[in-house]
Amino acid sequence: MLTQDGVLEIILRALHNLNDEMSDSEKFDVTPTTKLFGTDATLDSLALVSVIVDVEGDVSTALGRSISLTDDRAMSQKVSPFDDVQTLLAYIMVLVAEG
Amino acid sequence: MSASGYEGKVVLVTGSRRGVGKAIAEHFLAGGATVLGFARGAASIEHGAYHHFEVDVGVPESVVKGFAEIKKVTDSIQIVVNNAAVLTSQYSMIMPPAAAQAMLNVNLMGPFMVSREAAKMMRKTKWGRIINIGSMAASLEPIGDSMYAACKAGLSTLANVMAKEFASMNVTCNTLGINAIDSDMLSQLPRDKIDAIIASLPVPRFSQPDDILNVIDFFASERSSSITAQTVFLGGVN
Repeated sequence: MLTQDGVLEIILRALHNLNDEMSDSEKFDVTPTTKLFGTDATLDSLALVSVIVDVEGDVSTALGRSISLTDDRAMSQKVSPFDDVQTLLAYIMVLVAEG
Repeated sequence: MSASGYEGKVVLVTGSRRGVGKAIAEHFLAGGATVLGFARGAASIEHGAYHHFEVDVGVPESVVKGFAEIKKVTDSIQIVVNNAAVLTSQYSMIMPPAAAQAMLNVNLMGPFMVSREAAKMMRKTKWGRIINIGSMAASLEPIGDSMYAACKAGLSTLANVMAKEFASMNVTCNTLGINAIDSDMLSQLPRDKIDAIIASLPVPRFSQPDDILNVIDFFASERSSSITAQTVFLGGVN
């Protein structure tokens, strides 16, 4: 069973992996509240896509079934799942709970 | 034609049952690669390193399901050849919409979906080559091939945009515009029409498999890491 802590770990690992690919001047702080999307976010759009793809893949692998973070449902949420780490975590936990 | 240098590489070829796709799949197998084949029908290649998946690339769900099956065999793909295509040649005013839609689905949406899913795997290893099989029709724009030519022109644009998106992952995206090659697809077209087109080319002959494999090898090469967002036509088409 994938727990909330487990999902958080996957998200933070994806952010750390992204950080590893960046130059020193581009690196950002990885925390459970890191802003992902929006005017004050530190990730550009391609970087965010990379994180989403990595998280989607790793959560799917851990669950043993595919989840989608890029379908119409995700895109039409009242609160964007991609605002920050916490909104992404909350949205993934909804998908996990659906079984 | 012998090949080498693909040991350890995993190559996905769409439309691997026959024609150009089968020749490309066999070429990579001869070079020591593991080859994954997507096609709507059953396998036509028997080889220990060949894995066949019955996938209709024109159906996005089928592609996603195909990649789920692939992940049971391997967790990485290094090279993708988007070869699967369908062709109906007809004047636009009498082209059946279903035939036009099928071309759009298989010839353009298919490569999009396959490249999309493969890129997610290539991201893990930070290396990849995506090679689209285009057509001289994109440049010559022959009468009767409105949708086919548009799809093949779109294929180059698809590769060029993906080249930008995937560059930071060391994934290159290129297109090989082949001209006529004796195949089941070609047999659907009037031979006199094809002969007239070929006769007008700087190199007025049908393509041979090695003409195609030569450019595939070039795009797939380790040395071609700076070759991306390019379309190479055979036979002098430009």
